[in-house]
Amino acid sequence: MNRRRPLRRAVIYGAAAALALFWFGPFVLVAIGSVIPEANLFTFPPRWFADPPFLGNYRYIFTGEIPQTYQQTGALRSMVSQEARWVPYSIWNSFLVALAVMLIVLVLGSLASYAYARLRFPGRKGTFLFVLLSRLIPTVALAVPYYAIVQGLGLLNTRWALIAVYTVLTLPFATLVLTLYFRSIPIEVDEAARVDGATPLQNLWHITLPLSLPSLVGAGLFTFMLAYSEFLLALLIAGDRLSHTLPVTLGALATNTDVSWGLLMASIMIGSVPTMLLVYPVWRFMVRGLTVGTGP
Amino acid sequence: MVSRDDRGGHRRRVDRVGLLLVAPAVVIVAAFTLYPLGYAVYTSTRISSPLLEGRFVGFENYRNVVTSSYFLDAAGTTAAFVAVTLPVLMALGVAVALLLTEPFFGNTLLRAAMLLPWAIPAAAAGVIWKWVFLDDAGALNASLYSLGVIDGYVPWLTTPTLARMAVVVVFIWTQLPLVSILLLAALRTIQPVLYDAAAVDGASVFRRFLHVTLPGIRPMLVIVGVYEGLVAIATFDLTFSLTGGGPGTSTTLLAYFVWSETFKQLNFGQGAALAVVIALVSLVGIFGLLRALPADALLGEER
Repeated sequence: MNRRRPLRRAVIYGAAAALALFWFGPFVLVAIGSVIPEANLFTFPPRWFADPPFLGNYRYIFTGEIPQTYQQTGALRSMVSQEARWVPYSIWNSFLVALAVMLIVLVLGSLASYAYARLRFPGRKGTFLFVLLSRLIPTVALAVPYYAIVQGLGLLNTRWALIAVYTVLTLPFATLVLTLYFRSIPIEVDEAARVDGATPLQNLWHITLPLSLPSLVGAGLFTFMLAYSEFLLALLIAGDRLSHTLPVTLGALATNTDVSWGLLMASIMIGSVPTMLLVYPVWRFMVRGLTVGTGP
Repeated sequence: MVSRDDRGGHRRRVDRVGLLLVAPAVVIVAAFTLYPLGYAVYTSTRISSPLLEGRFVGFENYRNVVTSSYFLDAAGTTAAFVAVTLPVLMALGVAVALLLTEPFFGNTLLRAAMLLPWAIPAAAAGVIWKWVFLDDAGALNASLYSLGVIDGYVPWLTTPTLARMAVVVVFIWTQLPLVSILLLAALRTIQPVLYDAAAVDGASVFRRFLHVTLPGIRPMLVIVGVYEGLVAIATFDLTFSLTGGGPGTSTTLLAYFVWSETFKQLNFGQGAALAVVIALVSLVGIFGLLRALPADALLGEER
């Protein structure tokens, strides 16, 4: 009945359009910015659509071939930002780190969550709250000690350090999501198996995990994404070029005052591809994984 | 514990193997939380930098930090940032969640892609918006100029007030997807019967929102609100790549301040003192969260 009220429809479509513009408009601008020749930006107002798309920025990032437009000298800026060439390699670094973190967190998180969801043992509530609440301490408060510890272990500028630190940062959330999901599985199957002599580990492997795939995928992707995006600690403990993760490389580009905007935008486009591929699955599994067990 | 529930039979037995299962997770989290906190407290009582020899100075670092005008400035900026951002973010989150429950063309697409601003690295979000707000080549200035609203460019990121507003806008841009999605999930748990009953009673849309919707999403509002408050206090990536804390110190939030104090000024002792102060402030927030939650909200009754 509401659909026939034109005013209401106008408000809804207006709001939806404004929201879509706010959320996705900047991405469109980045995409455009990555393919306009630098020179067209330094007139006011900038000439955004004066020339056909220019792919030199992308070519430079992957092959190191300096675009012609940067070779001219004079009043126009001709800086080519070296950091942009690190983008593909730092995506690879981010990917390796995030993948390792995801696997470790899923293993440790499943073990702990099964115990929290199904077993009674001393310290159950205390340790659960401790693990959860530990994450509420701001990262920046732990940054300096982390740096010192990693330095003490001789692991500065290694992927191992990032993997260890991100595991700690993401484990609490994964444990919460998995615990809530495991609890939503009827306990009777579990108990029948226990009566027949199955150990908790057998139950976890043969009964709980196969039934929890949506939640495992959701928690896993969520973990991957957090590890892929983290910046502050990566900046501190992996500041070396060879261990740069994507956010650190983007940060380095962004704070370079001589940066070429076209290159920077092309770097962001390339760096966003993994995120864009993951956004939809994360959304689906996050909604499912988070709503189960949190109802009234 | 065991004696209390003898009646429960096998369901009530204690499984000590549970301790073994949670041990790896708990130990690794404890090692990377308690030790660093202890380390921060230790360092905060010393003069400590890569250049000088360490020595114990008691509370001197704390005194220096708390009385420094830079710290007070950053703390004030952060407080103002949270106070402005959080209410706007939560109100918009409720509005967007309600909007997404309406049927309209493009709804599914909007939902499917909505996490994008939240999911991309915040450091990238800062760069993306720097591109939008740029003085000479920025899209915002170019659009406003084409529409005839402005005659020359507006220096968005180099005027203190405008730069602060820009940080607020970008923060909301990155966090609104998560807030909306969680509130949307909470909206779904409200039983339609309640709305029907309210409609039968002749309650207006506004009263239905006030007496059915709001109470229904209250727990989620509290959780998300506290979480986002902590996220806002810890904001770092975004100011790092968007404004670099400037112009001047106008967008220097606490996290950025700690970073620059420690790693630009190389003053580890004062950096650690700051970290301890921030951790204490967060602990207060955490206990607030605990009080707001019903005791068994997350783990449920013991099985």
